[in-house]
Amino acid sequence: MVEKKTSVQAAPAPLLCARHNFAGPAHLVRSQDPGQRRVLDRAARQRRINRQLEALENDNFQDDPHAGLPQLGKRLPQFDDDADTGKKKKKTRGDHFKLRFRKNFQALLEEQNLSVAEGPNYLTACAGPPSRPQRPFCAVCGFPSPYTCVSCGARYCTVRCLGTHQETRCLKWTV
Amino acid sequence: MSSKNIETYGEYYSIISEVSRVIPNCQFRSKTARLKTFTANQIDEIKDPSGLFYILPFQKGYLVNWDVQRQVWDYLFGKEMYQVDFLDTNIIITEPYFNFTSIQESMNEILFEEYQFQAVLRVNAGALSAHRYFRDNPSELCCIIVDSGYSFTHIVPYCRSKKKKEAIIRINVGGKLLTNHLKEIISYRQLHVMDETHVINQVKEDVCYVSQDFYKDMDIAKLKGEENTVMIDYVLPDFSTIKKGFCKPREEMVLSGKYKSGEQILRLANERFAVPEILFNPSDIGIQEMGIPEAIVYSIQNLPEEMQPHFFKNIVLTGGNSLFPGFRDRVYSEVRCLTPTDYDVSVVLPENPITYAWEGGKLISENDDFEDMVVTREDYEENGHSVCEEKFDI
Repeated sequence: MVEKKTSVQAAPAPLLCARHNFAGPAHLVRSQDPGQRRVLDRAARQRRINRQLEALENDNFQDDPHAGLPQLGKRLPQFDDDADTGKKKKKTRGDHFKLRFRKNFQALLEEQNLSVAEGPNYLTACAGPPSRPQRPFCAVCGFPSPYTCVSCGARYCTVRCLGTHQETRCLKWTV
Repeated sequence: MSSKNIETYGEYYSIISEVSRVIPNCQFRSKTARLKTFTANQIDEIKDPSGLFYILPFQKGYLVNWDVQRQVWDYLFGKEMYQVDFLDTNIIITEPYFNFTSIQESMNEILFEEYQFQAVLRVNAGALSAHRYFRDNPSELCCIIVDSGYSFTHIVPYCRSKKKKEAIIRINVGGKLLTNHLKEIISYRQLHVMDETHVINQVKEDVCYVSQDFYKDMDIAKLKGEENTVMIDYVLPDFSTIKKGFCKPREEMVLSGKYKSGEQILRLANERFAVPEILFNPSDIGIQEMGIPEAIVYSIQNLPEEMQPHFFKNIVLTGGNSLFPGFRDRVYSEVRCLTPTDYDVSVVLPENPITYAWEGGKLISENDDFEDMVVTREDYEENGHSVCEEKFDI
């Protein structure tokens, strides 16, 4: 259900950056009737923000280029192949490792059962909230931003950036 | 005992002793080279590293994927690289703070039973950095190590070579997050680069810096033409004529209009300093955690009051992210603002923050009581995991 982000990327812009590619004269930019646009509530906005933050933790954006390729050199099972039991033993040891040690981070964290443990641990070491409030930046050009999009809550700095935002990203994918 | 010592360090890079080489600790796959998976430093052999796919054994800083890690180690310790004679070699290996017991036990098993090293020392990276620091400054008793790496940043106070567990702080911002953020904003504003982690990582290292006055730099970046000294044009590599990206020199920049040559160019202005700013204010992108200077002060304030001035005088910056130009000065000025005037503040950035912990490991291995610190294979075979749990303080 989740649309891939690639579908909403702006086409590769020419040399000048996106904020110069404004949609048209300023009075036409906000031509969409505010009554017709959907407005996301706070929970939906929070879900979008969480999804963006989780996407920042990925190692790779693309899929494995070797996935789906046939494995070359894989030996077909030969039925009278019981001569080398020593080698086989080591192979099962390797498989045993694979099964045992293939847990992901979340599973390992839960295994530790840290919420009931005493003393400092991985969870207590996490940094607390900052003392200064969050500084808002325009989602389009990155400069400090005073205004918020009515529909989705993204920040923008000028009407030009609002136009770009509404054309490309506003409400383009929802959680 | 004339046994060799190796050391592997960190999540992103491994460093092997005697040659002190920095080698990536992961595997790579390229869409052009269909059959082969490249391991560790074989990345130099890849002819076309565009769209490079990374396979890291670590997730969020902790070792979860032993398949990949064992393949990397088999390659590094094997015939093609260092030809390690396991039975005669000691190994020093660093681990993240608060490492999970299951990972520690797996590590013991793999090092002793599969590779059969003669002796193993498992430490936190900060302990090695602290050891190195105290060697340079023997009169100091306390220091606080800021280790800003690939997955996260840790602030760890050390007093007399023992870490203060209750004051360790972890900020979940690291080099990976900065590179991914830079990829996203470039992809939205200029050119689709979401697949090009390797290339954009290079861009980040070449072009980004930490600004000393954020709002002033923002104002300069808004100016047009010649006055915008922050703006820079970066030429992307195409791997046929241009092997490695570089910044266009100021004289050659065409400030209005297009470039005539066929190179792909990124124009970066506020991204240059807005991206490293996330280390100082993670709330800029929505992560509700305090930044590095605030966390340093918070951590020190959780310690007994008599010790606090000693910690403020010995702040050490290590890890890859401290290589950003201006990092040290910015940390100093922010910590100075947050500290009472009667305390002295001193922030040290070593010449090579990435290998600083490794140098500490080298000094430890030459120490006389090194043999008391390690766990030998015979010890482990007799007593199992409990002897490692007692001896190593992770």
